Amino acid sequence: MNNVADKTRYWNPYVSGVLLGLLLFLSFFLTGHGLGASGGVNRMVVAVEDLVIPEHVDRTPYIAQMAGGDRDPLGHWIVWQVVGVLLGGFVSGLLRGRVKVQTYHGPQISSHTRWGYAFIGGVLMGYGARLARGCTSGQALSGGAVMSVGSWAFMLAVFAGGYGVAWFFRRLWQAGE
Amino acid sequence: MAPFDLQALIGNSGSYFLYLAIGFGFGFILESSGFGDARRLAAQFYFRELRVIKVMFTAIVVAMTLIFWSTALGLLDYDEIWVNPTYLWPGIVGGLIMGLGFIMGGYCPGTSLVSMVTLKLDGMFFALGMVTGILAFGETVGYFNAFWHSGAMGRFTLPEFLHLETGWVVFLVVCMALVMFVGFEWIRGAIYGKAK
Amino acid sequence: MNGFLDMRVAGALILLLASVALALYGQPSLEQKWAFMAERFGPRLAERQVHIDPGELLALMNDHYIDLLIYDVRAETDWNWFHLVDSERVDLDKLAAQRDRLLALAENAVVVVVSNDEIAATEAWKRIMALAKPNAYILEGGLNHWLNIYGVAGEESGAHGETSLATPDGTLRHPFKLALGERHAAARPDERHAPQRDYTPKVKLLKKIARAGGCG
Repeated sequence: MNNVADKTRYWNPYVSGVLLGLLLFLSFFLTGHGLGASGGVNRMVVAVEDLVIPEHVDRTPYIAQMAGGDRDPLGHWIVWQVVGVLLGGFVSGLLRGRVKVQTYHGPQISSHTRWGYAFIGGVLMGYGARLARGCTSGQALSGGAVMSVGSWAFMLAVFAGGYGVAWFFRRLWQAGE
Repeated sequence: MAPFDLQALIGNSGSYFLYLAIGFGFGFILESSGFGDARRLAAQFYFRELRVIKVMFTAIVVAMTLIFWSTALGLLDYDEIWVNPTYLWPGIVGGLIMGLGFIMGGYCPGTSLVSMVTLKLDGMFFALGMVTGILAFGETVGYFNAFWHSGAMGRFTLPEFLHLETGWVVFLVVCMALVMFVGFEWIRGAIYGKAK
Repeated sequence: MNGFLDMRVAGALILLLASVALALYGQPSLEQKWAFMAERFGPRLAERQVHIDPGELLALMNDHYIDLLIYDVRAETDWNWFHLVDSERVDLDKLAAQRDRLLALAENAVVVVVSNDEIAATEAWKRIMALAKPNAYILEGGLNHWLNIYGVAGEESGAHGETSLATPDGTLRHPFKLALGERHAAARPDERHAPQRDYTPKVKLLKKIARAGGCG
């Protein structure tokens, strides 16, 4: 497996899948909904906006429904879940010595190039996730598990989009040919 | 019968703690599976790594089977759990944009959190971009409200769409996942040779 | 590596078998769903928490803030003799088709199920609760009781009197002279002239539990 880290240090993907599936089931069973990520980040962003420019928040319908008036955008389960994700990811990384300042990038490009693309990719992801009303965690994983047609359509679109443009950006990730 | 009224059972702080715990498990599993590494995530789209589909679809299939078996046995009420409402067109367009974002950025929102928290700089730049994208959306969605609500089909499930019994849909999804796992492994072998 | 392969094959087989078994076992029918819910919702029936007095139904009919949905689950012949204004006739086995509508009801919606006595209405109530758990009630004593109170003397052959509610058998025990359906006076009693009723109001408007969902 060229220029990807030693695979034995990570869990077997099928094992991870089973564990994640169990967690997802437990989430639905205990709380009535699945996992999510982008929604939590969204609410945190909105919360900061509400601190800085509350009048604007009140006047923009999409944001107002979360934070308009005296609504608290952070009083929502998904915010707590995102905090948990940060903690869990950190602890897991810490236990295995993977908490290190570094940049993951393909062998043909520099860290700086990677940073630029990461930022742009992030912008697209942030925008796209809100447009789709969820991301791969909320829509694909959770919505997929409970059979939502929209979620499956979304999932297909993500894979189509990714595989569709992968060749054009191969320089970002692949080794030189 | 599940799902339970958490507020009544364990109160607000109890509920938040539960969500924290669930999130913790999620983040822990993601990091342990190597999803904090953009190279592994992007590699999926070049058939070099199959981690993403293996984890994702195994999780979906396992969860699905457990959810619908619990419902069949009366342990869980499927009517009470959240099924993402379908907004077909923004969902598809958003998905395509995310596909592009995945290739360029190397993460998705959830995995970027894990990457960022283990101090990966590319994860942090991605997260910054994500925040920007989210802000941009909040400011611009007002201009395409009609599209934002287009293709609204409410709580629309695959069994309803395919006119099939739930159990058979689960079976089909399991088959599809297995075909994908085997198929992608074959493609990987064909492109890169058997040396792993 | 071989052992691992066996694990994956085993896992795949387990999932395949589990899903086929699920398909054969099937998802719960309405009756089964009610059986699962009985513990939680049964007391509402046993303690008569959802049985509303005819006076309360009349008040609901005149309340402009409430979106009232009256399901009449009797046979068509009974319906033709008499039915309440603005009620809808639905056969018991056609109730399942009401699911989408029930799920989409507004916060101020109230569903009332009526039959001649309470027998069919109770069964219907169980089914719609299993379908969608709406804010639903049963007309106490059924239409026989309603007509005892609001019925007009001249409209029935034989003396209009209290029909016995003690031995309910599901039949309409008010022998009308003419099958006027909803054009009988009792179909929409004028509340200014109707006999006043003392009753304990049982209808509560549910605050729609914002089942906070999905990503954001």
